[in-house]
Amino acid sequence: MSSVAVAAANERRLTIARAMAEAIAQEMRIDHRVFVMGEDIGTLGGVFGNTRGLFDEFGAERVRDTPISETAFMGAATGAASDGMRPIVELMFVDFFGVCFDAIYNSMAKNAYFSGGTVKVPVVLMTSTGGGYSDGGQHSQCLYGTFAHLPGMKVVAPSNAYDAKGLMTAAIRDDNPVVYMYHKGLQGMGWLGTEPAATVHVPEESYTIPFGQAAIVREGRDVTIVSVAMGVHNALKAADLLAADGVSAEVVDLRTLVPLDRETVFASVSKTGRLIVVDEDYHSYGMTGEIIASIAERDLSVLKASPQRVAYPDIPIPFSRPMEQFALPSPEKIIEAYGKMKGRRGWRWM
Amino acid sequence: MAVDVTIPTDLWEEDTEAAITSWLVSDGAVVSEGQLIAEIMVEKVQYEVRAPASGAIKIGLPVEAVAPKGGTIATIS
Repeated sequence: MSSVAVAAANERRLTIARAMAEAIAQEMRIDHRVFVMGEDIGTLGGVFGNTRGLFDEFGAERVRDTPISETAFMGAATGAASDGMRPIVELMFVDFFGVCFDAIYNSMAKNAYFSGGTVKVPVVLMTSTGGGYSDGGQHSQCLYGTFAHLPGMKVVAPSNAYDAKGLMTAAIRDDNPVVYMYHKGLQGMGWLGTEPAATVHVPEESYTIPFGQAAIVREGRDVTIVSVAMGVHNALKAADLLAADGVSAEVVDLRTLVPLDRETVFASVSKTGRLIVVDEDYHSYGMTGEIIASIAERDLSVLKASPQRVAYPDIPIPFSRPMEQFALPSPEKIIEAYGKMKGRRGWRWM
Repeated sequence: MAVDVTIPTDLWEEDTEAAITSWLVSDGAVVSEGQLIAEIMVEKVQYEVRAPASGAIKIGLPVEAVAPKGGTIATIS
């Protein structure tokens, strides 16, 4: 049997939704303190499929459907974690953060500090992000920057099922609050849009992916494209198109926003001399500016051209499909950004 | 002998077509009978497709393609 055939025989591809559920189930089997709560995460298995099978295996005591009251259950998660449990709590859409931000920002993120480290708050707050399927401005945001900005919480955002499982296991075992942001378009749920490249081989046995380690998902020489989650797939598609024109793009998947692997980004940009940061979160005051600043304040001399960002414009996300698609980051916009660095206009310069 | 992988006919009542949302195996992979190989969706509800036989799979329809009940989406030989 050739090595390719062996790999195919052992193949075990999972969607991100299934990978998340598998990681949660495995941790629940070995740690009785782990439980899940949120809206429709019980018998329905989560509207984004990431708690499927848990209710049947662990029952209503450990897989708890909540009323539509994020204020209450986010506070309950913080309290349970402070009291020795390890809750995984789902905020169905990250856009709904407003009503529970006191619990998150002032308690969950800060109680370890306020108590001099005597109270730990090991919550995993999992929440869906992203648009592209015409669900309007209150169901389509990413808000990575909103959560990554505040000290006290770790923030992870997987781009594929392998990372999704390892990051979830690491998140559950972490003694700090972890905000686990999964992009709806990568879940493999169909009606949210589908990115087949997110569905990859996932080992059945448990494993962790350490926080703060970016992955170089494609090596290149001429430009570094940095992103997370859906942006990584846009970057990879752009890299394919650039390669057809002889441009070699390196793609860095940050995987975690907090802690942020500035070293890997710096090393990559030192090699390529050019940087494009792709973010489906808003343009201003966000991840794109943070990444560029971390290069600029360390050593401007590694840059051969001004860094570019491809982010969501600073507008509410349109419900109209043509308008939303117009505003979203895309491979074409990344290529246009590269052309700008080379003094060209428009993305069809190739 | 090749065995067709078809859209199940008994999972939902109406005559609605299903969309393939994920292939959980690669084209050409060796699968075992009963193995979960694909997810399909009908009106936002997902269903599982399992391998009807063991062997090498040849994927016939890509992700996002639509097929009727009983329609062939792959073959296993």
